[in-house]
Order: sequence, then structure tokens, then C-alpha cells
Amino acid sequence: MKLRVILFFYFFLSQFLAFGQTILKGRVLDEQGKGLPGVNIYIKGSYDGTTSGTEGDFSFQTTQEGIQILAIRMMGFKSQEQNITCDGGELQLEDFKLVELITEMNGVTISAGAMEASDEKKSVILRPLDIVTTPSAMGDIVGALQTLPGTSTVGNDGRLFVRGGDASEVGIYIDGMRVGNAYGTTAGNVPTRTRFNPNLFKGTFFSTGGYSAEYGQALSSALALNTKDLSVRKQGDLSLMSVGGGYSQTWASEKQSLTLSGNYFDLGPYQQIIPQDFDFERAPFGWDLEVAAQKKLKNGGLWKVLARTESGGMKLWDVQPGSENRGTLIDLTNRYSYAQTNWKKAGKSGWTWFAGAAISSNLDEVDFDTLQTERDNKLAHLKASAVKDFSDRISMKIGVEHFIHRYAEGLPQINQERDFLDNQSFLYTEWDWYLSRKLVLRGGLRAGKSSLNSEEWLDPRFSLAYQLSPKGQLSLAAGKFSQLPVETYRVLTQDLKNTESNHLILNYLWQSEGITFRAEAFYKSYQGLIRFDGTVQNPENLRNEGEGFARGLDFFFRDQKSIKNTDYWITYSFVDSKRSFEQFASRVQPGFAPRHNFSVVVKHFVAPLKSQLGASFSFNDGYAYTDPNFPGEMNRKTPGFQNLSLSWSYLPKPNLIIHAGVTNVLGRENVFGYDFAGEPNSQGIYESRAIGQAAPRFLFLGIFLTLSQDKNANQLNNL
Amino acid sequence: MKKYLFILAFLAVNLSNVAQADPAYESAMKSQIQAMNEITDAQASAEVANAFLRIAEANSNEWLPLYYAALTKIEGAFRFDVNKDQEFDSAIELIQEASEISPNNSELTALHGYALMGKLSLDPVSRGQSMSPQVMQLFGLAINQDRENPRAVTLMAQMELGMAEFFGSGPQKACGMARIALDLYKSESAKIDESYIHPTWGVETAEELAKRCQ
Repeated sequence: MKLRVILFFYFFLSQFLAFGQTILKGRVLDEQGKGLPGVNIYIKGSYDGTTSGTEGDFSFQTTQEGIQILAIRMMGFKSQEQNITCDGGELQLEDFKLVELITEMNGVTISAGAMEASDEKKSVILRPLDIVTTPSAMGDIVGALQTLPGTSTVGNDGRLFVRGGDASEVGIYIDGMRVGNAYGTTAGNVPTRTRFNPNLFKGTFFSTGGYSAEYGQALSSALALNTKDLSVRKQGDLSLMSVGGGYSQTWASEKQSLTLSGNYFDLGPYQQIIPQDFDFERAPFGWDLEVAAQKKLKNGGLWKVLARTESGGMKLWDVQPGSENRGTLIDLTNRYSYAQTNWKKAGKSGWTWFAGAAISSNLDEVDFDTLQTERDNKLAHLKASAVKDFSDRISMKIGVEHFIHRYAEGLPQINQERDFLDNQSFLYTEWDWYLSRKLVLRGGLRAGKSSLNSEEWLDPRFSLAYQLSPKGQLSLAAGKFSQLPVETYRVLTQDLKNTESNHLILNYLWQSEGITFRAEAFYKSYQGLIRFDGTVQNPENLRNEGEGFARGLDFFFRDQKSIKNTDYWITYSFVDSKRSFEQFASRVQPGFAPRHNFSVVVKHFVAPLKSQLGASFSFNDGYAYTDPNFPGEMNRKTPGFQNLSLSWSYLPKPNLIIHAGVTNVLGRENVFGYDFAGEPNSQGIYESRAIGQAAPRFLFLGIFLTLSQDKNANQLNNL
Repeated sequence: MKKYLFILAFLAVNLSNVAQADPAYESAMKSQIQAMNEITDAQASAEVANAFLRIAEANSNEWLPLYYAALTKIEGAFRFDVNKDQEFDSAIELIQEASEISPNNSELTALHGYALMGKLSLDPVSRGQSMSPQVMQLFGLAINQDRENPRAVTLMAQMELGMAEFFGSGPQKACGMARIALDLYKSESAKIDESYIHPTWGVETAEELAKRCQ
């Protein structure tokens, strides 16, 4: 009958165990030895406990007896537990010292070279919404980034130029997957735009140097765009613009969402009203179709798909300097497709997994009068990576990547083609080590291999950040960056080696509620740049012989609180860059690297008008160019570039936005360089033609309407 | 055979312990709910939230202590000078924990929306676009899960009023909802007795909202 005895004790004791009273007293301190208020201190499994007072002191009674576990818990701190013996009377406990957990919110973050646009994280420079509402950007992601430090505006190109680097030195990623041909194809000095709509993205990470070992094949800059997670409601979005229109439909459930969209644009009607300085035979036009899907998986993973296909073109007369006739007719047609899928899952014990695959295909058909040319660029990217948090102080990232890059160009009329196929493999790892909340070290290694030139390489990278004061921090980043030459060179000389750059960056960041100040100094060296004989149109004897440097300083100040309903930021970047590259015989200042770059963006919300008014002003001191009428290379500089843009966004209803914008309000005739005749004229002078803007101003008017059956509201009306 | 009967009896007693209201749990909850209604400063708020967390840990199959701990944190973040974002985030974590104990619970869904509404209010300009549909969706879901839940309707009315003010449209829709909420509070008050520890808060907010229409 042993069981009966046990049961008796079970019934009896479970009800009436308590009789004695123990008083527990103690103090909870933080790492600095200061009293910590608000800590939860209790006997595990009972209701007995208390909360520490303003000095971290606590005292409470318990009716529990014998050996008990005392738990000490506070959000954001490492929990502690201790065995205690309650035998009545008073128990004075030794001081407890709680160690603060290092989190994304309270730990210092490495800010050298990095600028982030996000709604969630700290040390962000921009919010995603800022990208859409920057007046000079006209809704282009890269256009908005051109108001940030370290960038320069090259108005006849439109792409992103970072710190004396050319546009191909910027690597663009969506959800960690490389995007081939991220810009629309263009010709004859008509500026291009990013192919992707800013509304696709919830966050943007833009680095002007010293970036993570996760990113490679980019000498100057990494631009990482992160797509939105699940949509929450069914809606349709209609846009009607002065240059075209589009519709997008979203379906959403709790576990998945799908967005289909289509857009068409044609500058033809616009150009009939507003005369252009460029001689267009057919104004730029294009259409695109896009699908984006997100699905929450049963095991907690998130699966995303993004696919896009588009086509467009233009016809343009390219006049020769000193010539009276219309020149060469350039007829451009572009077909582009991009598809990617990725999967991410936060697993157990601090692991996060990621896998993705992406493919892009770009086909350009460019006819020069009767000569047809074709370029076909295909890039596939496979990637798998994992992050492991060993503790709140040490985390590791590892990844493996493979690229298949095929490029072909040719003259279809005479059946001539040249091409290459390259397989590239990469392995990377990166370690973050928080020595304290105020000091973090990061070390990374990236190893690469290319089948085409049988080269193997290793890029070490290092950075650290130190919190100087509650609002100020210092970061340092250094590293080696490698990039294979652009495809148009590799197809000519297949064993061209990597071009290389070493970065050294010192950054100071000061942030308080609504105010950001950022100063950064940098030095970059370039090795193995491509040089050639002949001309840019017809390079010969390509070799990794070029070298150079870029150094400079930039400043950024943003204030969102001093003036009511007003947000403004001011940027100044100084770049001193010289390099020997391309056809240049000596070290020169590149034409895409103006020395002084300045911009201001102001946005003001006028509540009674339900309107946001915006203005942006950009300035640089001009672009270097070579005038063959004088000795030397890059011996002249264009007048300074200036652009004042204004915009007005009107929100009459929650689901309707009317947006009007105009660039270069003052109508300044910006010049980005000059085309010179190949031969001198009868007076012995090389005649020139300024490379300018298609039109002094660009006007934009758009109506954006969101149609949603607001189910919630409807349901309420039926209550 | 006898042995098995004993074991059965043993199990039955254990089960009835769970099913039957545990008086210690109930009285602990009641005294903390009382304390919650008397909070005047951040320290008192932390004390009450901690006390609910202690009850939650000792009663790992109850969702109410977690619910009240989250509610205390949310109210504290609205009222006092604390790290607001962090408090709202930790409330959401607690709500998610509670949802595992009691899935599809209208009160928890509504509270989740309330916490998110708090986060939205900290930076409406940049968070509004992504968060307000989420908040609306949660309140809508809460109403669907229990059409008698006056808090879900009150919170939705509050959200509607905020939107109406921002866009300068009339408060009629919000007021209508507030009136519905007041009716629901009336029928809820009939259920409230000595041992009632389920959520009952929010009637003042509904009254205030309804006043705006007069």
C-alpha cells in the first residue's frame, strides 16, 4: 500500500504545504554597479516575488520552504537563477549583477561606408518613403541615392557613380541576389533609370565602400535592395502619368500574397508638346510585366518569387560634330527578363538559413543606320548562406555562391559573333565580435575563382565601430575588393585578370532624435584597371595595366525636427581621383568624377493643403574632358552642373495621390562633356558639339489611385 | 486492479484541478488587475507587469496573465517616459506567446493591433504606410473572431477617427462604431461578477469617441 501513502501526501501536501515565512532581501545592479529598477525577482513556480525599486533594491516574503530557485529577470538583460534555502527568518542575498544583452537596438553598428533606408532599424539615413518623394529622383531609386554623400550625378548617364568609380563598379542586389543589367539600356547620351520600382522594396542598404564580404564583384559600391514581405490586403493600384500608365493587382491571405503588375510608357506624346534638343526619330517607349509573390511556409520560413520581363526602345539621330546633316540613326531595341526566388528561415539555436537563385537576360539590338549589332548578356546566380549567432556577442556568416555568365555580341548581317562563358565560384565568411556594447569588430574573407581567366583570389576585409558618446560613434573599414572587367572588354581579351581596389574609410556618425550628422574620409587605390590602344568604340590590345586612386571627404546633415513639418538634408562630397585607364596615356581625372558635389533636399508638409512640397538642388563643379585643340588629356572642365527640382504631392483622400514635378526649373543648360570631330576642319580646328540634356526641363504629372475593398470597414458597417 | 483505480482517481483529481478554477490563481489575478487600474507611474507599471509575468510562469497554460502583462506594458508605453518601441515590442512578444496557448483569440488579436498602433504612433509619417493596413487587418480579424468583443470595435473606431482626422474627412464612421462598441460594453457588463477576470477595459475610450459626434 505504498502507493496509497504517496497519494495521501500528494493530496495533502499539494494543498497545505506552506506554513513558514522567509523574507528575501537584496539588490540588483547593472554592469556599472548602478542600481537597476524594474527587475522581476521571484521564486520559480510560485507567485511570490517583487520588482526592484529605483535603487535596484528588493525585499519580499515567501511562504515557500526548503531549496527553491530564485529567478532574476529583466527584459534586455541576461536572466539569472540561483538556488536559495528558505527556512524562515530573513535571508540577505548578495548583490546580483545583470549583464545587458547586446541587441540590434542597443549595440553599436558599423556605419563606415554604409547608408541604410529602413523603417525598422536604427542608424538609418533615409526611410523607404524618402526615396519615392525626393524631387530630383522622379521615382527612381538611384536618382534618390544621388543626393547622398559619396555619389556624383552624371546627367547624360543616369547611373550611380560612387567616389571616383565608374558606374560598372556598383553591384546591385535584390534580396542578396545579383541583378544583371539593372539599368535600362540606352544610347546617345539619353540618361537611363533603374528598371525596378521603389515600391517593391521595404529597405535599401547602400554602401559607398568597405562593405561586407557577402558582396563581391564591385569595386566601389554595393546597393542591396530588400523586397517587401507579405502584403496584408487585396488591392489594386492604378497609375496614370504624363508619360504612361500602369496597373497592379495584389491578392493577399494570411499565409501568402501575390502582386501582378503591368506598365506602359511612351515619351512620344510628351515630346510632341515639349520640344527636345535631341533629334528623336522615335521617342523612348517600353512596357513591363512583373509578378511578385510571398509565402509563409509551415515551418516558419518565408519564400519569395520576383519575376519581370520588359521591352523597350528608341530611335535617335546622332549628329556628328561639325556636320550639317542629321548624322547616324541609332535604332535601339531592348528585351530584358529577370527572375529570382529565395527562401529564408530562422532556425533553432541561433541559425538563420538562406537560399536563392536568380537569372537575368538582356538582349540589345542596336542599328547604326544600316549596320545591325547585337549584344546578349545572361547572368545566373546561385547562393546559399547561413548566419549563426553563437551568443549575443559573436555571430558568424558563411556563404557559397556560383555565377554563370555568358556574353555574346555580333553583327548578324555578316554572321559574325564573339562570346565567352565564365563560371565563377565564391566562398565567404564574416565574423562579428562585440567586445562590449560599445565596441564591435568585424572580419571577413571572400575567396573567388573564375573559369574564363583561370584566376583565383582572396579578398580580406575588416571593420570596427566604437561608440564615443551616447549619440556619437566612430567606424573604420578597410579591405580589398576585386571585380572582373566588364563583359565588353572580356569578350575581346578573355584572360583579362581582376581589377582591384583597396579601401580605407573613417566614419563619424552622430544621431539624435530627428538629427543625423555624418562625416567620412576615404582613400581608395586602384590596380589592374583596363587600358587599351585605339578608341573607346574600338579598343585594341587590352591589358590590366591601369592604376589610380580616389580620396576625399564627405558630409551629410539631416534635420527632421527643428522646423515644423519640414525635413531637409544637405550633402557635400569632395573627391580627388586620378587614374590611368581606357585609352588615356597618363593619369587623369575621370570625366565621371567631379571634385565638388553638393546637394540639398527639402520637404515640407502643409497640412491644410494635404500636400507635401519638395525641392532639391544639386551642384557640382563640372566634368573633365579632353579638348584635342589643346595639348594633353582631360585638359578642360565643363561649366558646373546645377539642377533645381520641385515637386508637389497632394493627398486629397487616403487612397489617392496626385504628384507633379519639374526638374531643372531654372532651365540651366548643363553640359556633361563634348564630342569632337575625328579630324580637324580646314582651319585645323577639331569641331565640337556639347553633350547636354534632352530638354532643359522635365515635367511630370501622375495620379496614383489605390482601389481596395476595405473588408474590415465593410464588415463593421454590417455589424 | 485496485492500483489502476487509484491511478485513475489520481489522474481525475489532477484533471479537475486544471478544469476547476484555481482559487490562488484567481485571487492573484484579481489583486493584480486591481493594482493595474491604480497605476500612476512607470515603476508601478513595471511592478504590475512583472507580477503578471510571475503568474504566467506559474500557470503556463493560462493566456490571461500574459495578456495583462502585455496590456500593462502597452498602457505604460503610452503613458510614461519609457523606451516605448522596446515596450511595444516586448508586449507583442508576450501576445504571441499567449496566442500559442489560446489560438484565434479575439482579445489577443485586438491587443496585438493595439500594440502595433502604439508603434505606428511613434513615427506615423514613415510607419503609417506599412503599418496602418496591418493594424486595420488585426482589428478586423479580432472583430471576426468575436463579434461581441467591444475592445476590438473601440480600437477600430479609434483608428478610423485618426485616419479621418489626417485626411480631413468626417468622424461619422468612427462614431458609428463607437456606438456599437458601447452597446457591446453594456451586454458585457451583465456578465461581470466577483470572479470575472477576463478583459473589461475600454468603455471610457468608447464613450469619449461617441461624444465627438454630438
